Amino acid sequence: MSATTLHTEIGASDEKQAAAKNASRRLGTIVVRLGAIAAFAAIMLYFVVFAPGFTSTFNLINVVEQSAILGVLAYGMTMVIIGGGSDVTEGGIDLSIAANMGLCAAVYATLLSMGYGDFLAVLAALAVGMAIGALNALAVVGLGILPLLATLAVLNVAAGMELTLTQNTVVGATSPLLAFLVSGSFLGISALAWALVLVSAIMIAIVHYTSFGLRLFAVGGHPEAARAAGINVPFYISFTYVLSGFCAAVASILTVSRLSASTPGSGELLLSVLAAALLGTVFSRRFVPTIGGTLLSVLFIGLLANGFQLLNVSSYWVNGVQGALILLVVAVTSFARGSEASR
Amino acid sequence: MTGISKQFGVVRALEDANLEITRGSILGLVGQNGAGKSTIIKVLAGIVKPDSGTIVINGQTVGTLTPASVEKLGVHFIHQDRLLVPTATVGEAVFLGHELGAGPFVNRRAMERRAADLLKRFFDMELPAGTLVKDLTTAQQKVVQITRALAQKASVLVLDEPTAALVKREVDSLFAVLRRLRDDGIAVVFISHYMQEIEQLCDRVTVMRNGTDVGTVDPRDTSIDKIISMMIARDVGEMFPKRSVSIGTPVLEVSKLRLGGSFKDISFDVRSGEIVGLTGLLGSGAKEIVQCLFGLEKADGGSIMVEGRQLSLSSPVHAVRDGIAMLPEDRRAHGVALGLTVRENISLASLDRYSRGGFVSRDTENQAVDGLIKELSIKTPTRDALVRELSGGNQQKVAIAKWLSCQSRVYVLDEPTVAVDVGAKVEIYNLLNRLAGEGAAVLMLSSDLLELVGICDRVLVVYRGELAGTFSGPDMNSDMLLAASSGARSIAAGVAA
Amino acid sequence: MSVSTSDNARQTLRAFLAKYSILLAFGAIVVFFATASPTFLTPTNLFNVLVNNVVMLAIVALGLTIVISSGGIDLSVGVSIDMASMIFVMLLAAGYSGFVGVGGGLAAALVVGALNAILITRLKISPFLATLGVLFIGQSTQQLATSGGQPIYLTSGYAGDQFNAIARTALLGIPTPVIVLILCAIAVYLLLHRSVFGRYVQAMGAQPGVAWHSGIRVPRELSLVYVGCALLAGITGILLSATVKSYVPLSGNAFLLDAIGATFIGTTLSRERKPTVAGTLLGVLLLAVVKNGLLLIGWNFYWQQVGIGLLVFLVLAASFGLRRASH
Repeated sequence: MSATTLHTEIGASDEKQAAAKNASRRLGTIVVRLGAIAAFAAIMLYFVVFAPGFTSTFNLINVVEQSAILGVLAYGMTMVIIGGGSDVTEGGIDLSIAANMGLCAAVYATLLSMGYGDFLAVLAALAVGMAIGALNALAVVGLGILPLLATLAVLNVAAGMELTLTQNTVVGATSPLLAFLVSGSFLGISALAWALVLVSAIMIAIVHYTSFGLRLFAVGGHPEAARAAGINVPFYISFTYVLSGFCAAVASILTVSRLSASTPGSGELLLSVLAAALLGTVFSRRFVPTIGGTLLSVLFIGLLANGFQLLNVSSYWVNGVQGALILLVVAVTSFARGSEASR
Repeated sequence: MTGISKQFGVVRALEDANLEITRGSILGLVGQNGAGKSTIIKVLAGIVKPDSGTIVINGQTVGTLTPASVEKLGVHFIHQDRLLVPTATVGEAVFLGHELGAGPFVNRRAMERRAADLLKRFFDMELPAGTLVKDLTTAQQKVVQITRALAQKASVLVLDEPTAALVKREVDSLFAVLRRLRDDGIAVVFISHYMQEIEQLCDRVTVMRNGTDVGTVDPRDTSIDKIISMMIARDVGEMFPKRSVSIGTPVLEVSKLRLGGSFKDISFDVRSGEIVGLTGLLGSGAKEIVQCLFGLEKADGGSIMVEGRQLSLSSPVHAVRDGIAMLPEDRRAHGVALGLTVRENISLASLDRYSRGGFVSRDTENQAVDGLIKELSIKTPTRDALVRELSGGNQQKVAIAKWLSCQSRVYVLDEPTVAVDVGAKVEIYNLLNRLAGEGAAVLMLSSDLLELVGICDRVLVVYRGELAGTFSGPDMNSDMLLAASSGARSIAAGVAA
Repeated sequence: MSVSTSDNARQTLRAFLAKYSILLAFGAIVVFFATASPTFLTPTNLFNVLVNNVVMLAIVALGLTIVISSGGIDLSVGVSIDMASMIFVMLLAAGYSGFVGVGGGLAAALVVGALNAILITRLKISPFLATLGVLFIGQSTQQLATSGGQPIYLTSGYAGDQFNAIARTALLGIPTPVIVLILCAIAVYLLLHRSVFGRYVQAMGAQPGVAWHSGIRVPRELSLVYVGCALLAGITGILLSATVKSYVPLSGNAFLLDAIGATFIGTTLSRERKPTVAGTLLGVLLLAVVKNGLLLIGWNFYWQQVGIGLLVFLVLAASFGLRRASH
């Protein structure tokens, strides 16, 4: 047989070489990840040493409580990014999530103030949240609009509806559920903090321990491959947007409980939600969004704001430090990926 | 499958095509690109709905096929694209869609273990636990993809170009696995461009041409040449057009070029009117040499001269300015922008020639572009058609036209005929001959040894980062090139010109 | 054959609707408001729409048109607007001349653009995340510089005159801000659609690898893209301050979503869905007309936002949906 191509004749030595390159690449990835985590740890350590009362149980629980709302929203965003892929312009993103929460909070608080009970009001908030999510799903999956654009339009719709409903005012609300969330506690930990723990546990179970979660990662990572494996890709992507709406509704109940009211301006949370979901990828071995990673970055953002407060640093610094951290983490990550690409 | 027809717009992709797949037999499916191989496979996969014809599986006429119903019938496909999730582990990739576990929950450890077992059993391959797909070599990914189908107990297995990325040992074990599956009563369909593989493996071969099956033969009684002539209604001898040009003075001179762990002490020249081949195994450094010549990698030492001028190539920006043209291997990512028009692509690297004061002069540009479209006979509706709408061969011509528009002196080609069918290959060879005929220096990196022997005046072989031999003249053959690329120095030294 | 002919006709119609959905929508909306409100088509009203709702948004959107053409995005245009506005107003408050003020303001915007450019081309951060980070940092910077976001009002006196010189004068009956917009639009049109630079931008947007392999200086061209966008946003910031005679911290962000929306509405005009200057301007006009029309027929600000959101949604749905169906 005469040789016609080199493809079939590559020697074993090349494989060894490839394996060695692989190993060094993986080492590089680990170094980058550890570096990012070490930077986070260093900041925390600084607070532990210099911020009075930072490590007190009371303070830490306080941070967890404060992080509950951001956390639930960030989980919704994380799901959308997992299912839609992490390319920020073409991939999955839900810009409407914070505005959706504002709308749900307005619906919930308005219904309570009109005298309806918790059951109906909670149901209505969930229905509205999921309806907005379904609208996003329709636009992205059904009509094929870029997620960035579709959810941007829906953001305007949701924000406008919230304003129309509340006339840009604070709507006070009280109810047994709200009272329980604020003052109820178990094992010395408040109900609000438990809410974050509970939601986190459920999300981790769904995303990381079920075949559903596994398939969702496949849908986001390589839609063609997922389709070839018989996975109903449109259903999975639609599901993430509806779930994101559901998360917005759950977060709305938490925010109404914390403030005893629905207040305008919830849209400002969007950037923090995005930051949390995107920062979270650095905690993952595969540089993909994970629930655990998102939880860590939510807590980190919470602790950062808290530490600054305790150190009497102006809260105006928080945004800037958060922005600088995003840039740092992403620059380091893209550096690691770059060295991977040019192997 | 009998009498299958399918029309896409005005193109008849399939015309009364038949395909018979039998249990316990390996069927080869061959044909040029566009002959209808992939369409008939897509019909079987339920991705494309036929306009007419019937499909009978196990004696039963089936109506509409969907990807899911096909899978239920036990028909599995190994697609040519590596359809694997890059961030999944090997176990996840093998069992995606059929996860192991209880209820909605998955058992990751069991999946990794089962996948490792299967890999060991079928391919004698061991990977570290939890390895991610993106960290695997191309060949390993292909093996994982095949393992995936095997894990699901197929009764019909369709493999589309499965060996393109595999090394010899893996090909051998794949063939052994396929033979074993055949003996177990599984029907295998094997699509390949590599004729020796068809000859080696298949029990029957169905040849397709122009959307229909032109015959089914036994490869053991039929010569390869006969099969090829069935595929193309043309004499194979014309494959490598001959030319006669006078070879002039050196245009590209490379001396003592070196780059880190990739290659060292590389010296050669390419003369005006000459086509020089460059080849080497994966990782030999041949690819990196080509990248250095275009500034994609920066050499650590040595010199590159074009027409006597010393160049410092730190990026493609400099390379283009100094008259070096590059036809990259990945046409869609680096060669032509699919979303731009033919005109915009052709003038992209030479806009300075068609502009005044920073603004593009449309008339000059249109004139030049029209000239090139005609010169290379690029088949496009208008100069303002999107390159996306052109066929692969015509896209490649647009990529070449871009450099003709620059009037480059040195053409560096990186695997110019990979994934191009026989007809388009011949056109590209003719183009290379034309370039050389007009006095350009052409350097072609290729792994297709027959192509190198057929088209090049000289072939340089790289082995472990060093030039292992230079071959030329009528005695040059692919066995010598292969021997030199795999390090058989004695042979290489014996015949080196 | 007759079946396929009518199929073809339907396809052509779909393609036509997909291509011109925005123009049709625009026409229908103008007709609707003209009948619903007698004041809508009066010259005074149209003039007000142009000056109050179109000019500033359009200039920001022109900047984003360049960025989106190059395949990127700039979330920090609000910061460029604010920084230009802040430095401009602070310089005037300190008694510097209008020229120094404008120069300082534009320089501040350029710094923001240069920061984006460095992050994107040197540190290889994706444009979305790079500009998101700059947005956060810009917000902090403003809060720190204004003790938490205190506006600076300069309604009368020397600064007031300077403001009036920019916002309240007219040339041949055309207000200065409109002239600035026209100049910006012509400049961006020439750069994006007629110049070599524009060709490079389109190539980078279509396929960055091809641009690099064609010898284009991708980092340099990309830097110019972000600096140019910031400069246009800076011009908006100065017009904004001059119009409202003050610097209000964090006010630039209000332009971001509308400008992105207008640019992408404009992309529905092009067959490859590329941003164009004409499309962007039409997108801005569409948003402005709807806002104004809704106001005239008695919808309050809150309902306007719902209306705009739904409208953008429908235009996008029509364009994307019909195009998908015609494939």
